[in-house]
Amino acid sequence: MTRWLRAGFLLLLVLLALYPMQGTGYGIRTMLQLFMWIALAQSWNLISGLTGYVSFGHVAFFGMGAYTAAILIGTLGWPWLLACLAGGVMAMVLALVIGWPCLRLKGPYFAIAMLGLNEVLRVIVSYYEGLTGGGSGLSLPTLHASVPIYYAMGLVALSVTGLTYVIITSRFGLRLMTIREDEVAAEAMGIDTFRYKLYAFLLSAVAPGIVGGLAARDQGYIEPTSVFPLITTITMIVMALFGGKGTIWGPVLGAVLLFTFQELVWARFIYLHQLLFGAIIVGVVLLMPRGILGVLQMRYNLPRTI
Amino acid sequence: MTVVITPTMIGQVVISGLLAGSLYAMVALGLGLVFGVMRVLNVAHGPLLMLGAYTTFGLFQWLGLNPYLSLLVSMPALFVVGVVLQRLLVRRVVDAPELSSLLLTFGVSIALVNLAQLAFTSDVRSVEYLTGSFVLGPFAFSKSRVIACAFALVITAGAFVLLKKTRLGKAIRAVSQSREVAQVCGINVQRIHLITFGAASALAAAGGTLIAVMVAIQPEMGQVYTFKSFLVIVLGGAGNYPGALLGGLLLGLIEQLSSLFLTTQVNEAVAYVLLVLVLLVRPTGLLKGRAG
Repeated sequence: MTRWLRAGFLLLLVLLALYPMQGTGYGIRTMLQLFMWIALAQSWNLISGLTGYVSFGHVAFFGMGAYTAAILIGTLGWPWLLACLAGGVMAMVLALVIGWPCLRLKGPYFAIAMLGLNEVLRVIVSYYEGLTGGGSGLSLPTLHASVPIYYAMGLVALSVTGLTYVIITSRFGLRLMTIREDEVAAEAMGIDTFRYKLYAFLLSAVAPGIVGGLAARDQGYIEPTSVFPLITTITMIVMALFGGKGTIWGPVLGAVLLFTFQELVWARFIYLHQLLFGAIIVGVVLLMPRGILGVLQMRYNLPRTI
Repeated sequence: MTVVITPTMIGQVVISGLLAGSLYAMVALGLGLVFGVMRVLNVAHGPLLMLGAYTTFGLFQWLGLNPYLSLLVSMPALFVVGVVLQRLLVRRVVDAPELSSLLLTFGVSIALVNLAQLAFTSDVRSVEYLTGSFVLGPFAFSKSRVIACAFALVITAGAFVLLKKTRLGKAIRAVSQSREVAQVCGINVQRIHLITFGAASALAAAGGTLIAVMVAIQPEMGQVYTFKSFLVIVLGGAGNYPGALLGGLLLGLIEQLSSLFLTTQVNEAVAYVLLVLVLLVRPTGLLKGRAG
């Protein structure tokens, strides 16, 4: 069984790697967005799925990466790949600045602190017009690079998933999950909870930063309202939750299903789009808080981290 | 551009800050009650405020009702909305981890915003009722803000009297301190939860009504008030109700002072930096709230 799954996964990877040779421009960009959502949902899962600390402003790292990359490409003429990696680094710096004070506390304070972070960054970015173009945004020089961005995005999604696998199957992951289940007990066992929470948070910020940069390069234009919307945070959370948070494959599954659904269905209900999304969120929270994998795990007695 | 800051300007700014702060305090008290009593982080608080604002706008537009009189409609109406939300949805996440309450109330809030867009469109609306300013010596204050402050103080004082003096208020504070013990003492905890969420929504609605007279409104106006209310309750100490008053006034002052010394655009950022500093230095808030 496992061998077949592994072979199927490899085959899927090969097919995805070959896809740009056959795919249309639209198809490639759609897949690229799917990869983006996988990377985002998976990153959120790293901090919130594993430690239980809710990052309710994860889009801040995405926006940070987008602006870092756009400024480096636009004003300093960096190559886009390097600029996007720098976006990841800056997102990590931001995570350090926020995580250092806020992760020391137990309970909901971290969630409250994250709640306004994207809003504040949006305000700051709009204010420093000289650097960021303010409310009118930044345009990047035209570049037709959908295919390289496709590979880069795919690689990020794959790497975060790989990283999640490595973490979940390591002692580090066990420590994080202990914090989630009972933080006081974790401390009593000698786990330096603050340090491990901070590590997880820093790791969870890198991919959104890189992906933000890639998205900015792909779209060629960013503005404060387009890269810091709260709804992006919520979408990644709902994806991770729907698939099964705290698992390796849950966020991937959730991202694929919800993104497909979004592409197929929501575009037809422009006016009711938000209402429907609200209903989906409420439904997921109330009816299947453990997600699809969580339900399968209970029914078929699978390992909890699959 | 250099602006000379005179004592008069500082006086003006301080008073404006306190005027705005009393409104923040009232709205945040609602959020603080829901958090204190049920441990629910209610992201829909701002959108409930928005519904209050549109109630006032609708009544003013169609019936010509005095916007301040419409407090008598918006507060009870939103109380009912709050009770219904609590009964149908929020009740189910009371003991769940904060992720559930955050997401659930967020789902509710985008649905509310969407409904308001369908009913009133996304256009910016305003209630043109009270314009002009009171002039007092060297100071000038817009009438709508002064009156809003007065109403906010009266309503907040009313809420505190209710919390401190009545049996219902005692029951609410008891549930907030320890649900189990309150239950053992014969308090109907579910009923207290319903009333708390209803009262919190009514406080938000009062804020919405008063704000509708001050500034233009639109369906997405609520989110920023959710954020401000969270700032207020963390500043004041989560679960500490007088703390909400202090936090609200403080937030109003900080915003006004930062618009004087920096610029209006960044005052949210300044308030946020203060929030992070408070969490770093005194995580239980300025007045002692409770950790965790």
